Amino acid sequence: MNCLSLDFSITLDTFKLQLQQDIHLSGITGVFGHSGSGKSSMLRAIAGLESKITGTIVLNEKCLINSDSKFFIKPEQRHIGLVFQDSRLFPHLNVLENLKFAAKRCQNRRLDFNEIINLTELDSLLHKHINELSGGQRQRVALARAILAEPTLLLLDEPLSALDRKAKASLLKMLLIIQDKLQLPILYVSHSLDELQQVCDKLLVLSQGKAVGFGNIHHMIHQLNQSQKNSLIQQQTSMSLPIKSLNNGHGLAVLSLNDKDEIYLPALEGKIDVVKKTLRCFILASDISISLTEPLNSSIVNHLLASITAIDTTNNKVLVTATSGQQTFFVSISVFSQQKLALKVAQNVYLQFKASAVRTYLY
Amino acid sequence: MTNPDLLALITTLKMAALTTVILLLIGTPLAWFLAKMQSRFKVIIEAIVALPLVLPPTVLGFYLLIAFSPQHLPGQLWQQATGQQLAFSFSAIVIGSVLYSMPFVVQPLQKAFEQLGEPMLEAGAMLGAGSTDRFFTIVLPITKASFITAASLGFAHTVGEFGVILIIGGNIPGETRVLSIALFDHVEAFDYAKAHVLAISLLAGSMVLLSAIYLLNRVPKSTAKRCKS
Repeated sequence: MNCLSLDFSITLDTFKLQLQQDIHLSGITGVFGHSGSGKSSMLRAIAGLESKITGTIVLNEKCLINSDSKFFIKPEQRHIGLVFQDSRLFPHLNVLENLKFAAKRCQNRRLDFNEIINLTELDSLLHKHINELSGGQRQRVALARAILAEPTLLLLDEPLSALDRKAKASLLKMLLIIQDKLQLPILYVSHSLDELQQVCDKLLVLSQGKAVGFGNIHHMIHQLNQSQKNSLIQQQTSMSLPIKSLNNGHGLAVLSLNDKDEIYLPALEGKIDVVKKTLRCFILASDISISLTEPLNSSIVNHLLASITAIDTTNNKVLVTATSGQQTFFVSISVFSQQKLALKVAQNVYLQFKASAVRTYLY
Repeated sequence: MTNPDLLALITTLKMAALTTVILLLIGTPLAWFLAKMQSRFKVIIEAIVALPLVLPPTVLGFYLLIAFSPQHLPGQLWQQATGQQLAFSFSAIVIGSVLYSMPFVVQPLQKAFEQLGEPMLEAGAMLGAGSTDRFFTIVLPITKASFITAASLGFAHTVGEFGVILIIGGNIPGETRVLSIALFDHVEAFDYAKAHVLAISLLAGSMVLLSAIYLLNRVPKSTAKRCKS
């Protein structure tokens, strides 16, 4: 099992990052936090680019740094790849030469150079100069370049933050395909939960230089909903659900929530591969409303019977947690509505939300 | 150009070429060290490197003459090692030129290294390139124009040197008699015709060299513009 053990601290002028965390590396692991939470410093420490570090980092039973015994493996000898936010493509080389720079320095090459170019859709750009590329193209080159060095772990430091939404979505899709094909463990740092929600299996949450949670992505997002510092994220219900139909003939796609309940969202036909069996989606807490009776005469297509498990009031906002089958939903309503409906824990209510409230970032 | 003047030209070119090579070999690591240095002693080293820009050449020449004389340690060591006197030799004017032209080579390189910064080097390291590899495949190609500027300025400034060489080299044909000193001799002897030839040659040569430098530094900017549009 690939494992990354972090036990180190970095003290800079204004802040201190202190981490003690074992991360089992499989698939894409997200690292979420706001700017200044220390997530980039964490990546730089793993990469070997941070010199003011005390403690140990062990990757796959190989020690990368141990400050007590003054042991330090140089970044170029760690076999770790890093895609920077700002691409950092070499300006004196064209696209192909940038890619070859990485491939040339890789001992025992296993990957097929052309396959990586195909996967990152760079075929038509190979002879372009770096200055001629768009932001999305640059990041694709940076990604391909990092992969061609054949690292044992790939770090992504806010790789999409400079891109527009369309470029982001296409790069995220590409990332999933690459991960699936190459089985390369990836650590993905971002301050955008939307991005992470779409591609990560597990999530590490950093806040003010400390790890405040690590676990399944949906579980972690739901935990963040309820945390005291709930300004960290937009409260939401995060799910991976089996796809029943891409288009039910009425312009809606159907996901199965459980044996009897379904969730409807705008048709995914043509946007998504049929082979894909599940869909990552989220519903903002502010997009769900509560009704005491089943809203049968409504244009709102989704209504689910659920049982309230918790009611939290902060700053005139009420966060209602309700479960329908195995799935937990988060609903934010006003104090006024809560009093009007006299909601109580264990009460059965109907959750209703429009098809368009079921969001998915990729498609 | 008469024969002695031709000899002076050859001596000048030999001196300037050798000085430039030595300066690149010494100046590159020094500039790198200064660009990366964060200690407060950095300003002191920078000031020492820049001294020849403001110091009268005769001051430097005077101290070097004393140091190079057989009565003092550097001169003694040289004599023991080579069996020849250092002062008033070709080696002396090369050493003098290296010190005197140092800022013209170190400063552009230091500036280029500072501008390059860490990002590209970090990117190289993450792709498995070691420090020597990074220097030759990333730093050198990206800062190529600065290296050419540094070398040309170092060369041109060495050709134009007078005071230091006059003091530590004297005026030995084929050894230390360079163009600028030959020109001075012609003027002293009221041989203005010969002086004109040398002066106009030096002027034209320097002009061509400097134009080449400015042309070279202009090229990357215009390509950058073309690529953006």
